[in-house]
Amino acid sequence: MNTLRKYWAIFQITLINSLAYPGELVGRSLMIVPFMWIFYQLWKVTFAAAGTDTINGMTLHGTMWYLMMAETIELSRPQLARTISENVKDGSIAYILNKPYNFLLYQFSNSMGETVFRAVMNAVFGGLMVWWLAGAPPAPLGWGFAILALFGTWIMNFCIACLIGLSAFLVEEVSPFMWIYQKLVFILGGFLIPLDFYPNWLQAIAKSLPFAYMIYGPSKLFVAPSVELLVNVLSMQAVWILVLGAILTLSYRRGVAYLTVNGG
Amino acid sequence: MRHLKFLLAIWQANLQSVMEYRVSFLTQVVGMMLNNFIYFAIWLIFFDRFKDVRGWGASDMYVTFGVLASAFGLVSLFFGNAFVLGDIVNNGRLDYYLSLPRPVLLHAVASRMITSGMGDFTYGFISYALSGQFTWDGLLRFILAILLAAVVFAAFLILVNSLAFWAGVVSSFTNLMINAMVTFGIYPITLFDNYAKLILFTVIPAALMGAVPAEYIRAASWQTLGELLLGAAILLGLAVTVFRSGLKRYESGSAIQIEV
Repeated sequence: MNTLRKYWAIFQITLINSLAYPGELVGRSLMIVPFMWIFYQLWKVTFAAAGTDTINGMTLHGTMWYLMMAETIELSRPQLARTISENVKDGSIAYILNKPYNFLLYQFSNSMGETVFRAVMNAVFGGLMVWWLAGAPPAPLGWGFAILALFGTWIMNFCIACLIGLSAFLVEEVSPFMWIYQKLVFILGGFLIPLDFYPNWLQAIAKSLPFAYMIYGPSKLFVAPSVELLVNVLSMQAVWILVLGAILTLSYRRGVAYLTVNGG
Repeated sequence: MRHLKFLLAIWQANLQSVMEYRVSFLTQVVGMMLNNFIYFAIWLIFFDRFKDVRGWGASDMYVTFGVLASAFGLVSLFFGNAFVLGDIVNNGRLDYYLSLPRPVLLHAVASRMITSGMGDFTYGFISYALSGQFTWDGLLRFILAILLAAVVFAAFLILVNSLAFWAGVVSSFTNLMINAMVTFGIYPITLFDNYAKLILFTVIPAALMGAVPAEYIRAASWQTLGELLLGAAILLGLAVTVFRSGLKRYESGSAIQIEV
């Protein structure tokens, strides 16, 4: 119980820190507004050109709220990989390692503290914009299911971002891995285009990889909630969290074994 | 001419500095190209499914994405500090440039090279080559269009960041504007109505970085070239004027620092 309290305190401190600069928080969250506006222009024209209200089971209203959730997830991700790689490169990891907490759980609590308010602010601004453009938000059940799946998304993102950050033990520059990870989430997660609009073969590939359960899963649950989809998304998230968590733990142990700290 | 020699010397020093870490340099260049390839694949998926957006197809996207990526890369490579000019103002780091007998704005923005810009710059040419619209005279227009689009983008960055002289910390606002510029620049111009187009030619001049240069590359037209030249000249003049006007309000941080 004491262990949990420790990480809960770390989470709270970061959360309070993120509220210390409300102007910065609001400014950053406003970024979702022009994105939602341009998505609306694109999909409005696309649906009109298709001459139908529904494309592969998605309406314009559903597509816009799907994209709002997808944007909220993406824009709320903290720069965890960059932080960890800086910790590794400048040696400040040594100051964290000798503290009475687990490095990975510390980073997780820290990153969650940053994520939560960003997500709320992005959902508020993005939601208001989409409400104005496309109509009222989905039913409360969608919100509930999506929030459940969001926890899995955040844990999966944490595992991958941590792995990229820890790769600084082996390579000089981790930025390219971060860019490519982000673009894989874009394309295979269904971030800019819902996976429903993809050709079948690409949908099959995307759904056999973790990215689809980070963006598409929660966003689809948001606009088309069903118990069957919820079970599918949560179970696939659990599988990927086990796989990614195991790889992360092993990589962390090997990385720390490499670490040489000179002086202080 | 004197300024050009000065710029060449700075760029040479910047290049030597980034080339010191060759593996990092190469990783960033190749990584950025790969990043752009994957990002563009989303548009290929879109156009494979929906064919065109009011007459705008995948081939047009290749050209627009190409010119925008190369212009972005060019500014990153040669005027990397233009992205963070607001932070430089806020942190009192203009002191260093003010104390030297060189043009302050030019010196400040040219003093940093963002390595990944080389990946963006190169990718732009590949994108144009793959567009199916490649011609040799088109390539010359592509190069001219990149230069003018880069002037537009650099001027926009200077303008937005110069608000720091009046408003203080503007990093969130700057990021918002850069994202808006790049995003609106890539999306098909045919999506927007007349009011939105007015914004895209003035407040966020994304059309002058994407759609208009792309139009000029596709078909030589004095009118399109004139629009681009006029837009670039007005924006650059405005950026320099606003920066100079803001500079009068600049207060030194009195911090002792060394620029490396």
